[in-house]
Amino acid sequence: MERYSKVGITSIKLLRWWLIGIAVMFVLPLFLPISVLRVAIMASYLAIFAMSWDMMSGYTGYVSFGHPFLIGVAGYATAMWSHQSGFQPPHIILPLFATIPLAIAASVGAGMLLFLPSMRTRGPYFSLVSLAFMMIIYRLVIAIRPDMTGGDRGLPDLPPVVAGPVPNYYLAIGLMFAVGIGLWYVTRSDVGSVLKAIRMDEDVVEASGISTYRFKRFAFILSALTAGIGGAFYTHYLQSISPRRTFGAIFLLEIIISTVIGGMGTIVGSIFGGFFLTFTLEYLRPYLLGAWRFLTYSLVALFIVLYRPRGLYGMGEDIARWVARRREGA
Amino acid sequence: MAKLLEVQGITKKFGGLVAINDLSFHLEEGEVLGLMGPNGSGKTTIFNIIMGDFLPNSGRILFKGEDITHYPTFKRVKMGITRTYQVPRPFRELPIIEDIRISTIPDSIMGSLRGEGTHIDEIKEIAEDVGLGGRFSKYPHELTMGDLRRVELAKTLATNPKIILLDEIFAGLTVAEIEEIDKLLRRKMEEGLDFVVVSHDLKALAPLVDRVVVIHFGQFIAEGSFDQIVNDEKVKAAYFG
Repeated sequence: MERYSKVGITSIKLLRWWLIGIAVMFVLPLFLPISVLRVAIMASYLAIFAMSWDMMSGYTGYVSFGHPFLIGVAGYATAMWSHQSGFQPPHIILPLFATIPLAIAASVGAGMLLFLPSMRTRGPYFSLVSLAFMMIIYRLVIAIRPDMTGGDRGLPDLPPVVAGPVPNYYLAIGLMFAVGIGLWYVTRSDVGSVLKAIRMDEDVVEASGISTYRFKRFAFILSALTAGIGGAFYTHYLQSISPRRTFGAIFLLEIIISTVIGGMGTIVGSIFGGFFLTFTLEYLRPYLLGAWRFLTYSLVALFIVLYRPRGLYGMGEDIARWVARRREGA
Repeated sequence: MAKLLEVQGITKKFGGLVAINDLSFHLEEGEVLGLMGPNGSGKTTIFNIIMGDFLPNSGRILFKGEDITHYPTFKRVKMGITRTYQVPRPFRELPIIEDIRISTIPDSIMGSLRGEGTHIDEIKEIAEDVGLGGRFSKYPHELTMGDLRRVELAKTLATNPKIILLDEIFAGLTVAEIEEIDKLLRRKMEEGLDFVVVSHDLKALAPLVDRVVVIHFGQFIAEGSFDQIVNDEKVKAAYFG
């Protein structure tokens, strides 16, 4: 146990795993059919959302049930400004290079709004407040100014950022790796140590002379930024947005279950979880009907929480340690 | 001697219960103050108020003459006031050296990203200083109560304190452990640290403190040297009825 300085040599050594992952993902389009690439695109976006949830909830312990709120704010912001019918009034249609940054900024603003109650509430109370945020925006989108939001049907025919499955694949994995490496670096620094300590005992962290408010705010901003990036690009990949899909319980469950299966408080685990969930959901489709699939995933998540709380990432670490011990013994 | 910490007319109510009632006392520089009182007399509550965990209903807390009543906890710690807990509160998922290290991480995002905290060798020195040598990689569930108290002390020392509030530091310890902690505290006193010590263990408290303040039902009842206090009629009545 001599590995105290997490930033530096250790991170550089581990960075090579990221580079291997990027290299493997980069060449996959040469070998895989388009149908698999489409699933990988969805998996990459789910991984981005799961990393965003992990940054806020997996690290600080503030379990958010309102993450689709952050994603939806970004998605709707870019959709409304880029939709052909325009933002009415004053009937403005902006190019994507303007709407996407605006949408991400809107998501960060929404993140700060979600952060405010965290100063007053903790535990299940925060979770309920975050859920309320999601329900409020769901109703607002449907009921208030449906001429701008498309109401219950949402907004179709949005412009894509890039056309075709292969460019979209590279865009999605590029975003996923950029976000992943960024968050991974932050969480391996002392910022990550403080956030994990906040999850364990926030009062004791404060009694160590650290402003937990400052660190939570930073985590929430990063989480919202990630949700904003994912939400904006995902919306343009799908070329549509609808309130049922964006603010539905299933979407929220997919995000949380991905993180839990992958390993909470690890960032990398969220990528594993996002891919595991998306691919198995897709390829089990012929064998398990919709409701049964989600029941199965909920049970798998429950099993992991109870018996393998470090998720797939933790299992991978255990296997790596076992292999290392075998090598030392040989 | 100058007053380092002043508790002035503090009252704290929880609903209809008056936990602290117009309580005043102070800690002078270079002094160890004992805070005594039977169970439920409000000793831990006043520690919580000094640390900023609770806001008082009335009264003020002064540190070196500065009113800190409304300062957040982390700011008080950075000024030099720190505490241990009656029931140790280690970070359960961290080895103890990492637990102590948390107390040395700078209170800034950029500083934390750059890893500008105390060097690990210094943290090991602190851990060794309190007698945790050879157990750096142990987890809290592997430690005795004595070692958990040492971790608490190491965490407070890592914040570069001027005052440490020790809450029942001897509770749950063996006689040998009490002696060791006692020696450690004396050494720290000689090095210039000031303490406010809360303890039920009067025997353990006696040789440590310069002066004792006794409270009962949140109210001041007596003050003086240890010998004066144990012979005080009001104190005897509070303890023995």
